[in-house]
Amino acid sequence: MPFFRSRIPAVALVLTAGLFAPASALAQRGGAFPLTSYRLKNGLNVILSEDISLPIVSVAVAYGAGSVVEPAGKTGMASMMENLMFSGSANVPPRQHFNYINRVGGTFNAMVSEDRTVFYETVPSNRLSLLLWLESDRMRSLEIGAKALEDARSALLEDLQDRRATDPFFESSRKFDQLLYSDFAQSHSLLGTEEDVRGLTIEDLRAFYAANYGPNNAVLCITGSFDKLRARELVSQYFETLPRGRDAVLAVEPLALARKQVVQSFVEPTATAPAFYLGFRLPAPRSVDFYTLTLLDYILFRGRTSKIARRLLNPDAKIAYRLSGGIERRRDRAVYKIFVIANNDVMIQYCQTALFSELARLKSSPLSEDDLSRYKAMFKQDYLARLSTTVDRALYLDDYFLTLGGFQEFGLDLEKYMSVSAADVIGIVARYLTPENSIILDVRTK
Amino acid sequence: MRGVYFGLGLAVVLAAVPLAGQQERFRKTPPAPEALQLELGLPPLLAPAILSNGLKVSVAYREGTGFMGIELLIYAGESASPDGAPGLATFVASMLSRGTQLRSAAELEETVESLGGTFFVNVSQDYIRISLQVLEENLDRALEFLSQILLQPQFLDRDIADLRRMISYDLQDKELSPEFAAKRQLYSLLFKGQPYERLAFSRDLLRAWTVRDVQDFFDRFYRPNNAHLILTGNVNLSQATRKISHVLNTWAPGDIAAAPLKPVRPLDKERIALVDFPQSRDACYLYVGTAFPRPSTPDRAALTVLNQVLGGSLGSRLLMNLRESKEYANYAFSELEIFRAGGLLFVRARVLPDKVVLALQEIQREIRSLAGTNPALAGEIEPAKTYLLGNFPIGLERFDQLTARMADILGLGAGEELWNGYYGQVEIVDADRVLKVAQGYLLKPFAVVIAGDRASLADRLSALDAYDVYDAKGQFVASYAKDKKGAVHETGGMRPEFQRRPGQE
Repeated sequence: MPFFRSRIPAVALVLTAGLFAPASALAQRGGAFPLTSYRLKNGLNVILSEDISLPIVSVAVAYGAGSVVEPAGKTGMASMMENLMFSGSANVPPRQHFNYINRVGGTFNAMVSEDRTVFYETVPSNRLSLLLWLESDRMRSLEIGAKALEDARSALLEDLQDRRATDPFFESSRKFDQLLYSDFAQSHSLLGTEEDVRGLTIEDLRAFYAANYGPNNAVLCITGSFDKLRARELVSQYFETLPRGRDAVLAVEPLALARKQVVQSFVEPTATAPAFYLGFRLPAPRSVDFYTLTLLDYILFRGRTSKIARRLLNPDAKIAYRLSGGIERRRDRAVYKIFVIANNDVMIQYCQTALFSELARLKSSPLSEDDLSRYKAMFKQDYLARLSTTVDRALYLDDYFLTLGGFQEFGLDLEKYMSVSAADVIGIVARYLTPENSIILDVRTK
Repeated sequence: MRGVYFGLGLAVVLAAVPLAGQQERFRKTPPAPEALQLELGLPPLLAPAILSNGLKVSVAYREGTGFMGIELLIYAGESASPDGAPGLATFVASMLSRGTQLRSAAELEETVESLGGTFFVNVSQDYIRISLQVLEENLDRALEFLSQILLQPQFLDRDIADLRRMISYDLQDKELSPEFAAKRQLYSLLFKGQPYERLAFSRDLLRAWTVRDVQDFFDRFYRPNNAHLILTGNVNLSQATRKISHVLNTWAPGDIAAAPLKPVRPLDKERIALVDFPQSRDACYLYVGTAFPRPSTPDRAALTVLNQVLGGSLGSRLLMNLRESKEYANYAFSELEIFRAGGLLFVRARVLPDKVVLALQEIQREIRSLAGTNPALAGEIEPAKTYLLGNFPIGLERFDQLTARMADILGLGAGEELWNGYYGQVEIVDADRVLKVAQGYLLKPFAVVIAGDRASLADRLSALDAYDVYDAKGQFVASYAKDKKGAVHETGGMRPEFQRRPGQE
């Protein structure tokens, strides 16, 4: 069952919430903090969430512009654009974005992922207009010059080089993504390839900016201490006249579950120990199953009593020395990924057997109430921590909106996570974490 | 008339809609700030309640986070470690999570997970912070957890041996960092023979602690009349007092018998130390600092602004000079640390080895010029204040930041003046006040630590009158000094003023 039985009413509601309409009915559905959202005529989605605890305000602007929108042969553009967004715009000199914020005691950062790029800042509450001025200027008139392009290219090539130098499993992680995801858009690396990055031209980046950095492909979230009416005025002043960009790429179909196990091998020249990747395809992140799948992360991997960690990382058994895993989302697609570095070749098979036997045990013997409530407590701690600062909250709201397309069930989700039962866990493991739906890449040393 | 109306209408339209290629005027310059809200709105630091066993209890009301913070301050930081035994306070605090009489370390860890919480101990110069942050519905269970640690501790030989090994490995790792070794050496020079030197303990000083040592320290200092418990979250003082009393009423007071710390003595003459890092050939690290008795609150505010002008930001004097202008350094910043009985202001810089002496001279010149030839100007002070005022609440946002800051203020024996009064303290700082503290605090002798490759720095350091050499573990290696002809010689042993065991008064 999807999160939303129907998305049509939600879309209609957002569209009618014009700039000067009363606070949207989407607000305040039992959440811990107030929330208003609306959309400008140029398509910019705006989220306002007030919190007067401290005299500070945060802004997060998220663009649906990650590596999934890069065409073949032009990879690395999303990562380079994250850097180029600080290269100056019509009224902000190159690299001055930081100075404007630092001078008032503020903080800022940016991040890029497969399906989005987010820029976020926190400043004293009397400087909200400064942030909106800065963000609107680069949304409207980014200036990509030759020097900035070369600087961004060098930085990305250096990142790629660093990654290769520090991650002995770099190539195999790329290979595994190609196995797990079915198309180029989802499966290519966020950092791109050296060859592509070297070949990118100024026109490529300008076209990427024009196509993906328009207001209709962005979400602007303001959180913290501000007057709502004043904030709406400022948003209108700085963003209303920005021209609409090209319409964003349509949603892709979720991944189909695999029906037969796929196992492949890969020789990783830089690996010093044998390893393997194990992946499971999942339904789209809007699925109601995600409540249980998210909690499963804690059951399998988090804390000293987590099932798989306890089995594989047991210091006496010396089976594996590194284990990581969790859900990965790329726009409308999601997978469950596990990566294990084994102590030796013999242990590779043992690790895989142990992993599947732990999953089988989860299917056959329900979690005790004590265990389940401990995992829920750990989850709830992380969930609340994600909302603990104004900037964290802005990032959370951007993410929520980009993932679910609205706030219809906002404020109800924690309760849903907390009501996951041991039977739900059994059902989820039986449905998705099965040998048939698994994809394995064995990584061999040279 | 129709023409006039039409013309007016057209003018309105033209004013409202920018022509293609034009931009609205408001976009050309950054907007002016709106009025700054001068009320921080932090939960007030009310006078604490005192339980019958002497335990002080404070609360800071904050709702809507879903968390409760529990901070227990024990007034026994590293300066309380016994003479000749630096590190014991840290060691005892680290033992708290190794299990109690009823629960193993693993069970304690599991309990913290089930509280949706985090648990850590932090040892500073003056006090120990035992911190728990839990989901608010688990407050009672968290207080029970705390009481088990305090009332039923268990110190076993095997845990002590295990912990000693872990701390030793940890120090070994840290000693790979020239910055760590330099800062430790700076502490050692600045606080030589004073209690604050003990935080600079090295691996060789990790004695073979016995159960008796640990138990004695715990029994002496971990007493309710030497502690302050702060609850942060959706709770009031009477609720807090009742809940805490319920679980900690059997915690017995004791005779602490600790003499109050004497105010920090500044150095009587400049000291220079080289920490030898043979692997650090491409860069060396300079730490230059001065220590002083604890400043008054207004002096502290002025020192904070001064520090900001000197080296507290990317636009500060040190960075502009050493990195941007002279190109001697990759970075150069200054920091201010305040303790119960003193404080220090120090500069840290990563510099090119062949510019080390020039960089040192520039740092010293920048510091001293603030006290005379080139005092901080209003044009530097006002931006520094803007930064400090703006950044202060951002540093209090996270729940753990809020409780840590509050604990630090109470741990220093300070109060509202550094809390809701912070804005006011910074607001009134002006050029005269900054000059006054520069003259009062920066004209004392400095300690200088250079961490880098001794062999490649030897020629450069011949410009110095005298310096001592230490290895990365903090062990003395040699002393060098110029003779009357200006030639540098190894002078044999350590100079007399340094012939004292660490921790000795």
